[in-house]
Amino acid sequence: MLSRQAKDTIVKGLIYFSAASTVGILAVILGFIIIKGLPGLSIDFLTRDYEDNTTYVYSELLETQEGNSTEGYSERLGITLDFDEENGLVIAEIDKDSPVRNALDGNDEKYTVKKGDILTRIGDLRIDREFKELDSKDEKAAAEFVQKAIDEIDAVKEDSVRLRVVRIGGGIVPMAVTTIYMIILSLMIAGPVGILSAVYLNEYARPGKIMTTIHFAIKNLAGIPSIIYGLFGSLFFVQILKMQYSLLAGALTISIILLPTIIATTEETLKSIPKTYRESSLGLGATKLQTISRVILPNALPGILVAVLLSIGRIVGESAALLLTAGTVAQIPHALFGNSASGATLTIKAYTLMKEENDLTSACAIGIVLLVIIIAINVASKLITNKFLKKKGI
Amino acid sequence: MEVNKKPKFEVNNLNLFYGDFQALKNINMNISSNEITAFIGPSGCGKSTFLKTINRMNDLVPGVRIDGSIKLDGLDIYSDIDVIKLRQRVGMVFQQPNPFPMSIYDNVAYGPRIHGIKKKSVLDEIVEKSLRQAAIWDEVKDRLKRNAIGVSGGQQQRICIARALAVQPEVILMDEPTSALDPISTQKIEDLAVELKKDYTIIMVTHNMQQASRISDKTAFFLSGEVIEFGETGQIFSNPRDKKTENYITGRFG
Amino acid sequence: MDNNMGHNEVKPDSVNETDISIQYMKRNVKRDITEKIVETIFLLCALVGVLSVTAIIFFVFYKGIRPFTGEDAYSIKDFLTGTKWAPSENIYGIFYMITASVLSTAGAILVGVPIGVLTAVFISEIAPEGLVKIVKPAIEILAGIPSVLYGAFGLGVVVPLIMKITPEVQGQSLLAVIIVLSIMILPTIVSLSESSIRAVPKKYREASLGLGASKIQTIFQVVLPAAKSGILSATVLGIGRAIGETMAVMMIAGNPTAGMPESIWSMVRPLTTNIAMEMSYASGRQSEMLFATGVVLFIFIMLVNITLIKLTSKAGEK
Repeated sequence: MLSRQAKDTIVKGLIYFSAASTVGILAVILGFIIIKGLPGLSIDFLTRDYEDNTTYVYSELLETQEGNSTEGYSERLGITLDFDEENGLVIAEIDKDSPVRNALDGNDEKYTVKKGDILTRIGDLRIDREFKELDSKDEKAAAEFVQKAIDEIDAVKEDSVRLRVVRIGGGIVPMAVTTIYMIILSLMIAGPVGILSAVYLNEYARPGKIMTTIHFAIKNLAGIPSIIYGLFGSLFFVQILKMQYSLLAGALTISIILLPTIIATTEETLKSIPKTYRESSLGLGATKLQTISRVILPNALPGILVAVLLSIGRIVGESAALLLTAGTVAQIPHALFGNSASGATLTIKAYTLMKEENDLTSACAIGIVLLVIIIAINVASKLITNKFLKKKGI
Repeated sequence: MEVNKKPKFEVNNLNLFYGDFQALKNINMNISSNEITAFIGPSGCGKSTFLKTINRMNDLVPGVRIDGSIKLDGLDIYSDIDVIKLRQRVGMVFQQPNPFPMSIYDNVAYGPRIHGIKKKSVLDEIVEKSLRQAAIWDEVKDRLKRNAIGVSGGQQQRICIARALAVQPEVILMDEPTSALDPISTQKIEDLAVELKKDYTIIMVTHNMQQASRISDKTAFFLSGEVIEFGETGQIFSNPRDKKTENYITGRFG
Repeated sequence: MDNNMGHNEVKPDSVNETDISIQYMKRNVKRDITEKIVETIFLLCALVGVLSVTAIIFFVFYKGIRPFTGEDAYSIKDFLTGTKWAPSENIYGIFYMITASVLSTAGAILVGVPIGVLTAVFISEIAPEGLVKIVKPAIEILAGIPSVLYGAFGLGVVVPLIMKITPEVQGQSLLAVIIVLSIMILPTIVSLSESSIRAVPKKYREASLGLGASKIQTIFQVVLPAAKSGILSATVLGIGRAIGETMAVMMIAGNPTAGMPESIWSMVRPLTTNIAMEMSYASGRQSEMLFATGVVLFIFIMLVNITLIKLTSKAGEK
């Protein structure tokens, strides 16, 4: 038989161990994602398109005095070219008045060539082929390779030249944009519906069947796992309503997921608003609607903001439901629904990178971005809550 | 009592039920203009319920049912007058000072604004006039933009009175307006009530019998939802006709 | 008018005294209609939730029951008791998936609930202010991490670790699923348990301490029993989370096409991952069978939900 003190010590030890493991697990998860993802994280990763983008452009050429070209600098195009071991010929510098800034693509639309773009063809010169034959360790050959390209530009007799420009991908811009679209669209749908529901439940509904039913439904919604929402969305929005894998199908599905959170958070805030505010407003001859719009909602604003932040966190983290409704294509959706409306959010891309491309590093790099967003949301909602509570003197 | 003065309110056979519970029983009462009428009685006697019936704040309570009539200037408040208009004419000051968490200015301007006044100069004047009437202008004129929650309880209550006055009511209902205040603030509110009765009809619920005897012209004693006695304040306190009234005002129960 | 603040000034300028008294008598019909319309709009919004639940139940069940009706109906018994999932051979058995779901959930509860409750005890009863400020935000962040990242963690840390000790050839296993799920339910368990522990009146603790009980005894003899219903709700909610989790599990479960889990080292295929794995390309019978899997999952979730609603409403009545 252990003494009481010994028993207490053991139990206390267990309690400390549990708390420590909870924090420890978080540290390990965060550590893993950061260590694994950091090598994949770079400015290029955050600012580039996902796929390489190849475009033929026509650029005017400047009139120049001959022989004025310094090393790597093409005076006729106003750009500095450099050798890149991976991609060949890269545009390292572009003059302010360079004509490539106003180049035209095949449809005669303006295509601004940017720093970092790769040239794979100048006129008829196949730079990509030359590059393949090149021994990239040989510095002299590399310099000649660059010079050859510049000579080719200088040799053009017409006043414009056709270039094939490759904009290197490997970045997460399309997914980031899709995520932002998804956030905006979902909040536009679920925000008003959720907030107005909460207003109805707290300000209008009298206890009774309707209110019980609505509350029961909302509690049930909160317990349904994403994958079921995904199933429903893929059947109802994607197939029956013929939206296909699309931004809208995803956003509508997510909106249903968000409803319980938005309603519960808003309702809680509305409940915390003293009854006397309503009474005195009505006592002054305000209508119910005036009372709601001028006294209740302004006072509920911090809570509604927290609801919105929580929703953003949920949208950013959502995967199973979106996988079945918005698809996994790494592109910026061009429409709300239909053929070109599909798009993967950051989270979905992180999943496909891991599952289909076995690229844990890129997935974790996206993971870092997600973590930053989620921690920012956490801090922001904390700040709002604290400020709100302080103001009310609770 | 001036016999030929038309009553502001005529209450006839008023009964009020919360579900099965009868909270007011057969109330008959005429309330005169430009007087302070005090309602006294122990907790749960129905005096606050009756007060809230006068501007139909009881409508907000689920399951409430009313029969009988209350007439304001001869018009039935339940059938002839729109509830919103009624509440404009019959303002209310609550037990706890309850300014909105907005600036003092916005609190007072709230009523005029919801009734459609947008012009800044008009609002400015209403705010100043109401705050002056509520005897708080000098204390807050330099901090109108500050949050009304930040001032003392007594000041908050006078801001609430100013807020009620800004709607230009004819009647002001006060539900134990000083019960949450210190003696000095209470004194100020009492002085204010006496001052305001020149322009307004005031009906006040109070727990404090000295308060009722000090400032009111008429007093109604409520017990278990009934009006036991209603008359001139002087008479009620010096020479009550009913034994129960006497017991109450001499402090034997309550 | 600016000098004279009489009674009329508050009303619109053009209206004179008689109009006002008439106005007093009339109800403002336009305003009343507006108010009614707005209220109706609010009500309709509130009904969206009800409509969604109804639609979800209807569509998932409608599609999920189809394969068991009609001429070439699939046997429900085969579906529920089968241990092989081979759409190409028209074999759809999900018993091994149900088992996987139940086992992984049970495992997660077994590991996660004690750790979670003890952490909650730590936060609410034992920890000094400073530590609470570390542990609580940690739990909040843990709650916010997307399941996909839990999957990454499982794939990058848990599975390789299991690889080192498993008798099998792969690290994807029931054990991996249990570990990751128990972490994922921790925030739910901790935060709900914590609030129910905090809700226990101080006087209970004082009474127990006053009788000479130690702090630890007080916690386990008085506080936790008093917080029982909250902890129970937390557990039920945790069950719901664990059984419904998809993405994290999909990456670490192995998802075999047949076979009952034989040990914690076995690969498993819970109901959720079955749906997520094949839904994007399934059609016809296979797609309907995925919905049928969804129906089974849904029934589990409904049981959890209703238990939870019962529990919380009972706690609310007290």
